[in-house]
Amino acid sequence: MTSTRQLAKSAGFGSVVGVALMLTAFTLIDFSGWWTARTISNVVHFSSILALIAMGQALVIISKEIDLSVGSVYGLTGIAFITFEHSLGVPGAVIAALAIAAVCGLLQGLAVVRGGLPSMIVTLGGLFTFRGIIYVWTGGSVRNFSEAARENWLTKLFGGEVFGIEAAVLWMLLMLAILSVVLKFTRFGNHLLATGGASDSAESRGVRIDRVKIITFVMCSVMAGFAGIVTLADQPQTHVTIGDLLELEAISAAVIGGCLLSGGRGSLIGAVLGAFIVTSFRYELIALGAPSSWFITFVGVVLIVAIIFNQKLARWAGHNV
Amino acid sequence: MNYVTKLAATALLATTALSGAAHAQDETFRFVMVSHIGSNDANMGWLTESLAAFEEKYPDVTTEYVSTNNYSVQEHVRLLEQAIATKPDGIAVPIVDADAFEGPLRKAIEMGIPVVAFNIPDARPVGERIPYLTYVGGDEYLTGLHLGEYALEQVAAGNIPQPTGVVCASHDAAHQGLKARCAGMKAAMEGTGAAFEELFIGAEPATARNTLQSYLQANPETNYIFTVAGWSSPWAWGVANDMGLSPDVDNEGVTVLTVDEAPVSIEGIRAGHLLAANSQGFWLQGYAPMEWLYWNKTLGYEPQSDILTGPVIINAENAEKWADLVRGVFGDEEYDNQNTW
Repeated sequence: MTSTRQLAKSAGFGSVVGVALMLTAFTLIDFSGWWTARTISNVVHFSSILALIAMGQALVIISKEIDLSVGSVYGLTGIAFITFEHSLGVPGAVIAALAIAAVCGLLQGLAVVRGGLPSMIVTLGGLFTFRGIIYVWTGGSVRNFSEAARENWLTKLFGGEVFGIEAAVLWMLLMLAILSVVLKFTRFGNHLLATGGASDSAESRGVRIDRVKIITFVMCSVMAGFAGIVTLADQPQTHVTIGDLLELEAISAAVIGGCLLSGGRGSLIGAVLGAFIVTSFRYELIALGAPSSWFITFVGVVLIVAIIFNQKLARWAGHNV
Repeated sequence: MNYVTKLAATALLATTALSGAAHAQDETFRFVMVSHIGSNDANMGWLTESLAAFEEKYPDVTTEYVSTNNYSVQEHVRLLEQAIATKPDGIAVPIVDADAFEGPLRKAIEMGIPVVAFNIPDARPVGERIPYLTYVGGDEYLTGLHLGEYALEQVAAGNIPQPTGVVCASHDAAHQGLKARCAGMKAAMEGTGAAFEELFIGAEPATARNTLQSYLQANPETNYIFTVAGWSSPWAWGVANDMGLSPDVDNEGVTVLTVDEAPVSIEGIRAGHLLAANSQGFWLQGYAPMEWLYWNKTLGYEPQSDILTGPVIINAENAEKWADLVRGVFGDEEYDNQNTW
């Protein structure tokens, strides 16, 4: 009974309820269309990519900040991976691309913390800046990914399949496990929750909130960049629009998953389930014949409902929101 | 009038005429192309190359190319208003959204700035549309129509399957030109009994794939995919291939059609992945509007009709020639870079 109550009070509980309601609705409306191996496989595959970005976003939101640049960082890192491969090979390109992502996060983190600027403004600037770099760098067209690079073991490791399961799904599960351990069982995770929950109190107890926030921004950008590499290792045919508006889906996933924008409360598994909800809604709306432009409206409605539900849940769990 | 007086009058006239001619030669013009084809679109190269060629031929004209880098009508209107505020001698602009562009363009025309529409016309009848000088470009409706008709010719020849479902995959839900392409394809397919759907897939590659996958899964009768941008054709082919729908050009499975004389379109055709694409004469769409603006300013020319620069069908038979032409514009290295197949 106690464990059930604890589960109900956890940040990700709203997303569990959301997934249950959604699956019930899809089962009732479109059983034969939804419950097919191909549909579930496709939804889970794209959900995994979005979840990688959403988990990074969740960490930033837990620290009481936000990162609007993740879509552009995802794109810039992916483009860097494709472009650098020609000169550095696949392993070198992966390292260089992730380094670029880390620098993006570091610069933004420094601007927020040292500059005392609102993260919404800094990362909005990042969104435009990194997208602009993509346009200038590529001149409007992303170069091809060579046949040899597609066959490289590292490309297969990031973008191939293992026992019929897409690598993106396995990477997402691995990152979920690692980050959950970091959040729940490490000193850094404890400091992160304290920073977002009550920064003054945390600081007075010796938590270096500046450092925590900068590291979180770096982790968020690296996660977005990693998602870009995983995507392109699987499907290297891309365009300069890569990552366009993904930041909104990632933030939605994190918020639907139980992250409070007031900080200090959030769930990584909730962010994963939030990504699953966002992707599933798009998939099923199209399958039911609704114009695909309706998707964004539905995400908006789900987002508002999720925020209301999660806030009530947080108050019930004893959080000040 | 005696001889001396005549000589003096002639000298005066000659001096006046010569100074007038010198003045005419000194007069310079500034034409602005306010485009939706920005640095996020490789087709920008056609337009900027043609403007450079125009400036070389007409050294008394300076051309400026300004463009949006995202698919945003609002951003485009903002750029247009900024361009008008600088009082250029002429403007070339695609009418991406007639309602949104009508106000700024009518104001520009009232200010005496000649306007030429390029790439996308105002689709309304001449009396109702924005009173620009002329339209230079392809016909988006004909692009879809001719590609559809070409596909049906191939059906009759037994080269591809009869259409049972056609999806027009568009990356910009507000782009009237893309809607017209879809409408043309729909018109071509009428009478075949095939279902037709216009699907907004967005411009983000992974999201677009996910959307298209969902559609194909829910609509298994769909066997023709028409991507209204060349760069999204590999995504459509990839999704259909992953789903085991045999998307190469043969007499089974899915058939993919696309647009543009871009390397990715041409090489997709040469590799047997795509049935056909089209050229809408991009180079001319940059050069010809500038020339009409120049003739209008210097000689008062007003074209009596729109000037169509396309569509021309690119297929397996002529793709190699197109490849040679495009390599000449982009260069071999850039051409190969843009072949993402």
